[in-house]
Amino acid sequence: MAADRSCSSTRIHLATPNSMRMAQALRMSRRDMLLGAMGLATVAVGANPGLAATVDEDTVAPLFLALSKRLTDRETLNPQISQALYAGIIHAVPERRDQIGKLHALMESGNFSSARALATAAEHADPVFKDVIHEIMTGWYRGVADQKVVVYRSALMFDITSDAIYPKTYAAGGPFYWTKTPPEVAVPTGEPALSPSKFVVEPT
Amino acid sequence: MPSEQDLSADVVIVGSGVAGSSIANELVRAGISVIVLEAGPRVDRQHFVENFRNLENKPSYQGPFPSVPWALHPPNQITPNDYLHTTGPDAEAYQQVYLRMMGGTTWHWAGCAWRYLPSDFELKTRYGQGRDWALKYDDLEPFYYQAEVMMGVCGPDPAREDLGSPRRQPYPMEALPISYAAQQFRKLISEKTPYRVVHEPQARNTRPYDNRPTCEGHNNCMPICPIGAMYNGSYSVYHAEAAGARFVPNAVVYKIERDSANKRVTAVHYYDPDKGSHRVTGKYFVIAAHCIETAKLLLVSADEQSPDGIANSSGHVGRNMMDHTGVQVTFISGDKALWPGRGPLETNVIDNFRDGSWRNERGAYLVHMVDDNQVDLATALAISKGYVGRELEEQIRYLASHTVRLFSHNEGLADPENRLTLSSTHKDMLGIPHPEVYYKLPEYTVKSCEHTRGLFRELIGLMHGTDEQWTPGYFPQDHPAGSTIMGTDPKDSVVDGFCRTHDHENLFIASSSVFSSVGTGNITLTVAALALRVADTLKKELSHA
Repeated sequence: MAADRSCSSTRIHLATPNSMRMAQALRMSRRDMLLGAMGLATVAVGANPGLAATVDEDTVAPLFLALSKRLTDRETLNPQISQALYAGIIHAVPERRDQIGKLHALMESGNFSSARALATAAEHADPVFKDVIHEIMTGWYRGVADQKVVVYRSALMFDITSDAIYPKTYAAGGPFYWTKTPPEVAVPTGEPALSPSKFVVEPT
Repeated sequence: MPSEQDLSADVVIVGSGVAGSSIANELVRAGISVIVLEAGPRVDRQHFVENFRNLENKPSYQGPFPSVPWALHPPNQITPNDYLHTTGPDAEAYQQVYLRMMGGTTWHWAGCAWRYLPSDFELKTRYGQGRDWALKYDDLEPFYYQAEVMMGVCGPDPAREDLGSPRRQPYPMEALPISYAAQQFRKLISEKTPYRVVHEPQARNTRPYDNRPTCEGHNNCMPICPIGAMYNGSYSVYHAEAAGARFVPNAVVYKIERDSANKRVTAVHYYDPDKGSHRVTGKYFVIAAHCIETAKLLLVSADEQSPDGIANSSGHVGRNMMDHTGVQVTFISGDKALWPGRGPLETNVIDNFRDGSWRNERGAYLVHMVDDNQVDLATALAISKGYVGRELEEQIRYLASHTVRLFSHNEGLADPENRLTLSSTHKDMLGIPHPEVYYKLPEYTVKSCEHTRGLFRELIGLMHGTDEQWTPGYFPQDHPAGSTIMGTDPKDSVVDGFCRTHDHENLFIASSSVFSSVGTGNITLTVAALALRVADTLKKELSHA
């Protein structure tokens, strides 16, 4: 934690919108439709020659899942969510398909024992991998791809905090659960893998 | 589209928010016929809940409530805005949001149900600042209680925790037990400072009440309580309809018709979404359309008889725009994990600066320690810092459990130069101009904000805070007030102490637009109390008639 406390690029105070209008101007428009995993699995991924007709047939899609497991340091991840995240990511930026394939190849070429090791090597090899990794992290942990909610309750951010807190609108502790003492959390000792980025908070 | 046959009722109300719907409910239960005209659509709660869950930008309070083209509302607090156009040196500080739809803006309030202090009604007399109201706290006290019963307000026992607004009855429900995070904050403030943290009175059920359930702590009071444990205006709509009141959605009032003497209102005219025009007659009329839209309607209705707008012989319609201006800081506590976001959003307040002799030179304020779930923010932040995998998960847990946010409501002050006018450049699909507001922060408010920053620095130190991030400038708290200001002198005010317009004997205004000062507490309970007082007046006058 000590290292990141001095991180000047973070802008967590920008939670009111007037300060963020410039940021907003740079953002893509949002769509408010939920991308269901099943629906997306059969969504056409693009018109480029050489691409598979659907994510189901896309040979990079399984690589995305394998890559995601390494980058989350997890042995298992939900394959339906993986399909939906992958479809969203390559829909937003078609070049990501090729980049995900190359990042997977990088992973296969070395013996990376952790997400951190792979991410550090990836950014060193090609700065664009940093963006790819950000999108993969945002997908799995926030449940968001292509500026849309792919999953909410099943986002990993809620999995890793489920001993303390509920996703908004999904509380299940009964009235006044909030008075009880939540778990203590130790100061983290791990270091970041990637260089820091500007943090953009969307407008209220 | 041809006009339907004229609609008619004893009382015609424009606006279905907490003010309009509660008046409708009171009147119809007294045997008085009521029509309520709502510019926006009727939408059910579950639709908003679904919209929220599918919203990528979860902190967007307006996000789940998209407006319709015939009843636009501000899409967000961004300046420049697609609907509410703000200008002046502090334009960004007045970029309010609100909702135009059945039930009104309380769809996304946090349920904070403060009574104003007796001093708030006498700011000029006591402190030589701003203006006095044309009523006293004691005049409103019975209606405050009536509003608390209507909404279902929980709050502390005054014998143990006196919030400064004298009560004749206890709160309808016991105070909400505060979260672990708020308990720790309260303990710290109590032990280390001369200040205190009090239970915030809230229109939130601490037991089943009014056929609505006990709060389960979904932490989503704003933008939408998923279970209806928190009151909003839609519940008064349902009650009024059950008793026989007629609510007309998508009815955009654009004209207020008067008699030849210009003393009595005879009808209002509204457009449907196809711009078919309809006329609604009545004996009494109440404009309860939110501070911004109420003033806009009075100005839009200008005609030969009233070239400056309806009820505007004083020239004060649209002037004296006020708000609670906000100061906000977010930081990472160096103490034990707090895990904010377990329970309702806003439950506790530092209230030491709501009143004091210093109000002769600087505005009052109150401070919220926001109990907002920070998991999503923590995740986005940790990713931006470059963490992945196991280290990312550690960071998310740490940041989500240690992020603290403080914000304030700082008192605005009536200044006629802060003014709402009709846009000369923007009109909606019906041809009705958008509202425009010129805003310059009163020095009184600026000094108040400076004092707040000092307090926040003290609290950050006490919590061994790091990563201290101040929201730049000043931001609106969406509590607009003053656009049809109350007063005893018709030359410099729009309504009297009963919210009756000075100019038109059967035209009342039920909105924060009548406030003469804005105090520090959230405005909704006072809006509701004033509305219920209007209902009381109308019941008396109609029964005598």
